[in-house]
Amino acid sequence: MNPSYPHHPFGERIDKAALQTRLEAAQGWEAKNRLLVQLGRELPDWPATLRDDAHLVSGCESRVWLHGEYVDGQLRLYADSDSRIVKGLLALVLTAYCGQTAEMVARFDAEAWLQTLGLQRFVSASRGNGLRAIIRHIREYR
Amino acid sequence: MSPQCPNSDLFSQLRSEFPIFGTHPELVYLDSAATAQKPRCVLDAERRFYEEHNANVHRGSYALAIAATDAFENARSSIAGLLGVASDELIFTRGCTEGINLVAHSWGDSLAAGDEILVSTLEHHANIVPWQLLAQRRGVVIRPIPLNAAGQIDLPAYQALLGPRTRLVAITQAANATGTLPPLAEMIAAAHAAGALVLVDGAQGVVHRADGPAALAADFYAFSGHKVYGPTGIGVLYARRELLANLPPWQGGGEMIERVSFAGSSFAPAPQRFEAGTPPIAQAIGLATAMRWLAALDAADLHAHETGLQHRLETGLLDLPGVQVLAAATPRAPITALHFAGAHAYDVAHCLDARQIAVRVGQHCAHPLLAHFGVSSSLRVSLAAYNTTDDIDRFLVALGEALELLA
Repeated sequence: MNPSYPHHPFGERIDKAALQTRLEAAQGWEAKNRLLVQLGRELPDWPATLRDDAHLVSGCESRVWLHGEYVDGQLRLYADSDSRIVKGLLALVLTAYCGQTAEMVARFDAEAWLQTLGLQRFVSASRGNGLRAIIRHIREYR
Repeated sequence: MSPQCPNSDLFSQLRSEFPIFGTHPELVYLDSAATAQKPRCVLDAERRFYEEHNANVHRGSYALAIAATDAFENARSSIAGLLGVASDELIFTRGCTEGINLVAHSWGDSLAAGDEILVSTLEHHANIVPWQLLAQRRGVVIRPIPLNAAGQIDLPAYQALLGPRTRLVAITQAANATGTLPPLAEMIAAAHAAGALVLVDGAQGVVHRADGPAALAADFYAFSGHKVYGPTGIGVLYARRELLANLPPWQGGGEMIERVSFAGSSFAPAPQRFEAGTPPIAQAIGLATAMRWLAALDAADLHAHETGLQHRLETGLLDLPGVQVLAAATPRAPITALHFAGAHAYDVAHCLDARQIAVRVGQHCAHPLLAHFGVSSSLRVSLAAYNTTDDIDRFLVALGEALELLA
């Protein structure tokens, strides 16, 4: 039997509004960094057997593993990374996309949303590449 | 101030010559191995050329063009003088990478299938991939020179690799990813004894006033301007005159020809034969200015300043748990590569960036070297003349806090 993707709270118990409140309370870049690390800790690690090439998203500075599938028309999304800060960022991405319909996934502007959260640094050219690869990947799930 | 550095006042004053630190007073710049900051005299030299002498070189018959040509050729002879070689042995390139590619084409295409090139495991990809492409074109065999456990060139293994088919040894002057200084004198002597030529990648050497091509007796020596306080878009390739005389051009265009007809063209002598098209004129002048600026520093003082800072850094690192210096036991340029037991180098660099501390993280275009140490990424601190003890101390505090946050 295949090992299962670990359950996480993002997009369910933790929604976009809750995250927004926490990010707005974190004033300044250093505090936002701290919060990302903390969010990353709330996203459970995948078992080693799932951290394989089939799940790997290329184009990121750190390694990112992703899995998504639609169940009853809603996206179930799981993600992991070997970087704590990227895991924090993935927690935000999961919150935005988990439970959404394919139509919403196609329409949602994650980069603009991250900008409003004060995380434009992640969207900027060199670091943005990894994030863009992740979002492109998510949009390809059917 | 560090006791190793008798002239620390001189170096703190020197920092004020770099306008970037005026623009960003809080910047801790520890990524000079990627590119060095530029002193004001270099910026002024480029601007002055455009304001006072701008014209194309080697083709105008009017006073301004002659002045531009003089300025460009004076830059070449000035750099040649500093390197202890002749002007006509010095080709202007776009950078170190282009210089190595030039050798791999012009010289490399004379090789036959089965000829061998030894490439060290310390190399930047710029001194690996051009040889691999040559191997694909000509059936040349690339033999990697292995490292010992410490991360230094395995000399006995290297000597065993040298043989009758060895045509070239490609070796860095200082590994960009770890700073390791290979035993160049022994390696070059052994290569020559075996009848092979040597190409030295000086990208991380010139900036620290390492020996130039003449002192090394290198056959080819390449470096980039932007890593030696000069402009981007300019580099230098030195090649021994006897070698250059027989090398065919690798790019065609203006300035590199004597006569062109559709029946065929004849080519200009070196170095013009290798400089097709309009060269980076202002950049060459900027580079000569940068190298004169660097040469005006006392080499012993510069060495004491940079190694003193590196010593302060690595002493401070001993207080931080889970920090490993790669190739720590090898002699090194002022480059310190770190691997963290409990944190991703990317995350650490990200935390440092929040405090305006600039370091390089990743594989540093040296995948084989990182693979040797069994690490997938590292964080590199590289030092230059304008760094201060304050830079080191701020780095150490920020690193300690980042590791605590990420633990």
